Parts: sequence; C-alpha cells; structure tokens
Amino acid sequence: MKRRLSIIAAIVVLSGTICTLTASAQLYKPMYFNIDWQFNAIVGNDYADTPTGWGMNFEGGYYVNSKLAVGLYASFHTANKHIGEELLQLNESSHLYTDQIHSVFQIPFGALLKYRFVEDTMFEPYVTAKIGTMFSRTSSTTQVWEFYEEKWGFNVQPEVGVTIYPSAAKRYGIHIAAYYNYSTNQSRILTYDINGINNVGFHLGFSF
Amino acid sequence: MKKVIPILLLAATFAACQKEPDLNELSSELIVYTNYDKSANFGKYTTYAIPDSILLLDDKAKPSYFAADDPRTTAIIQAINSEMKTRGYVRTNNAEADLGLQVSYVKDTNTIISYASTNPYWWYGYDYYWPGSYWNPYWGGWGPSYAYPITYTYTIGSLIVEIVALEDANATTKKIPVLWTAYMAGIQSSNQFNINKTVSGIYQAFEQSPYILSSVER
Repeated sequence: MKRRLSIIAAIVVLSGTICTLTASAQLYKPMYFNIDWQFNAIVGNDYADTPTGWGMNFEGGYYVNSKLAVGLYASFHTANKHIGEELLQLNESSHLYTDQIHSVFQIPFGALLKYRFVEDTMFEPYVTAKIGTMFSRTSSTTQVWEFYEEKWGFNVQPEVGVTIYPSAAKRYGIHIAAYYNYSTNQSRILTYDINGINNVGFHLGFSF
Repeated sequence: MKKVIPILLLAATFAACQKEPDLNELSSELIVYTNYDKSANFGKYTTYAIPDSILLLDDKAKPSYFAADDPRTTAIIQAINSEMKTRGYVRTNNAEADLGLQVSYVKDTNTIISYASTNPYWWYGYDYYWPGSYWNPYWGGWGPSYAYPITYTYTIGSLIVEIVALEDANATTKKIPVLWTAYMAGIQSSNQFNINKTVSGIYQAFEQSPYILSSVER
C-alpha cells in the first residue's frame, strides 16, 4: 500500500514538474475566451432592419502557435421592427389588413480560425474567419396571430478586432470587434421573402 | 449522451434569449381578413337579405343572439347595409334575396374552424351555425360549401361576416355556396365590445373587397 502511494505521489510530482516546464517554455497564453455584447443590424432586407443591441457573442480558442488559434463561436441576436397597418394580398383571393411586429432571431455557431498580428503588446489586433451553421426564427406578430418559420442555414462571418490588455500579465482584456455575417437561411412570412440574411455589427466585451 | 446534454442545455438557453416583441407597439385597430370565391360573379346578384340579430358563438348548448334592438346589432347591421347599398344591392326578405349575409360574433370560445376539400367539415360542434333552414324552411340539413380552404383559430371577440349565394343553392348536393368571408379580430378592449372599432372593421372589410359589386354599379 505504501509503495502504491509512493508511485502515485511520484506521478503527481512529475506531472506538476512537466506542466511547469511547459508553461515556462510557452511565452503566450494558450487559451482565450471572449464574452461580448453584440450590436447588430440586418442589411439588404428591410424585413427587420432595425439595428439593436439585443445580442451576445461567445467564443473560445486555442493557440496552435503564437499567432494562430482555432476555436468555437456562438452568438444570438434579435431584431424587432414595427410595421404599420397595411393591406397584404396573401394570394389571389385573400387579403389581410393589419399592423405587425417583424422579428428575426439568429443563433449562428461553428468553428473559427483566428490570426493575431502581434502577441507581445498591449494591443493585439487580429482577424478571424468563422464558419458554421445558423438557426433563425423569422416571425410576424399581430394582435391575434403569430406567423413564423424556423430555418437552418450555412453561416460565414469574417471579423476584425483588437484585444486590449491593460496589464502586462494579460489575464483580462477588453475586446472590440467589427464583423460581417452572412447565412443562407430562407424564409417566407405572409408576403415577405427573405433569401439569405446579411448582418453587420460589432462586439464589445471581455477577453480572458 | 452525457456530452450532448450540455450542448442541448446551451442551445435551449440561447433560444430563451430572444427579445420578445413589445406588443404595446401594436395599434388598437382591428385585424381584417377577407377571402372570396374567385369564380363568383357578384355582378349577377341584385338583392340580399340579412337577419336583424347577430349569432353569438359560445360554449352553450343553445344558440344565443345579440337582439335586434341591441346597439351593437344596430351599428353592425347599419354598416353592412350601408356598404351593400353603395355597391348596388337592395335589401329584401329571405325568400326573394339572391344573397344572404350571416353575421356571427365569437363571444367566449376559441374555435378551430377548418374547411377544405380533403377535410370537409364546418363548425364542428356548432350544428346550429346558420343552418340552411334559416334561409329557407325547406332547406333542412343543407349546409354551406366553400370554394376556398379555410383553417383559422377564431379568438374571443371576433366578428365573422359571410355572403352566401341563396340564388345558387344546390338542391342535389344540398349546399349553399359561400362567396365571401370576412373575419375581424380585436373587437374587445378590456373585455368591452368596442362598437366604433367594429364598424371601422366592417368598412375596411368591404374596402379591401372591391369585387363585391352589383351590375347596377358597374
């Protein structure tokens, strides 16, 4: 029993030593996480093109070398827009007179590739390419009915940004980024067609 | 499986993050939906009949009505008569009328109404809803037929106005063609029947239905 405990203790000590040595050899922090507030506007389609800050962004990655990281991302965002009373011709024989609130709720998520230009300064500018899928829920709410469609599509999001580290230890930083986001989601609500969703926006949050 | 659970929880959390629409932004105007039989020739009819009362749809076993002297009935019937007159139709009695207008108010029930060629039932559970015998005492067991499929959930405080072609009632099939359906919702405000909104809704229903026009006005 004593021998077994000795072996376990030796393994623990050895593992700790190896980890310490590895950390000493690696001058950059291997992992990063961003949690951001997201301000977003749908462009190219006026269904719900009201810019809103009802969204968040989450991402995390691992640096495979000092400049290049791979990781995962996920975000969500809602855009709501009131449409005043109008007469909609639903088909050849039916009409609907109503006002509505248009909504587009988006959840893109997938994998990312991040490249930072410098790693040993207070400001770390970078570019990121995100590729994944997106769930969208497009709806029209009236006083009586809600018309909606839930769809999936391919998602791509190029992003440029900067992480600002106030301290040399770089444990915590401020994250600012601008992005363009496109997904192939298609919806038809009442008389409105959405063929792909284009977004522009920015992230403001914390990095650690 | 254990790895999937956190992902599902994360997805559910994200889905719950949707910012719900602010319903206070919606106006207090009625929603007005209309549909009609595209093959109908409204120009060939010249007369119509309309009851003096309005059928109330509720969960009671026997039908009840807004009586003829009820101010709600008066306002609704006057608005419909005004529109029909403007479009060249003359009001007459059931026996002589080419068209019949049946008006119903959904009082305190949520009723799913469905009618389609593949699912041909109408007001299931509401056998007394404007039976054929109302228009003609010899039309017992007759029912309406629709040229357009309809499936709606009619909510409390909705008004339904329909035009049926009495002239074209078919003795063989025992069917009375329905030419036009208008559905207005949002009539109740704070559980009170809003007459002004209802009348505005009726005018809107006719305004978005310019095809309802007698040959006299063409």
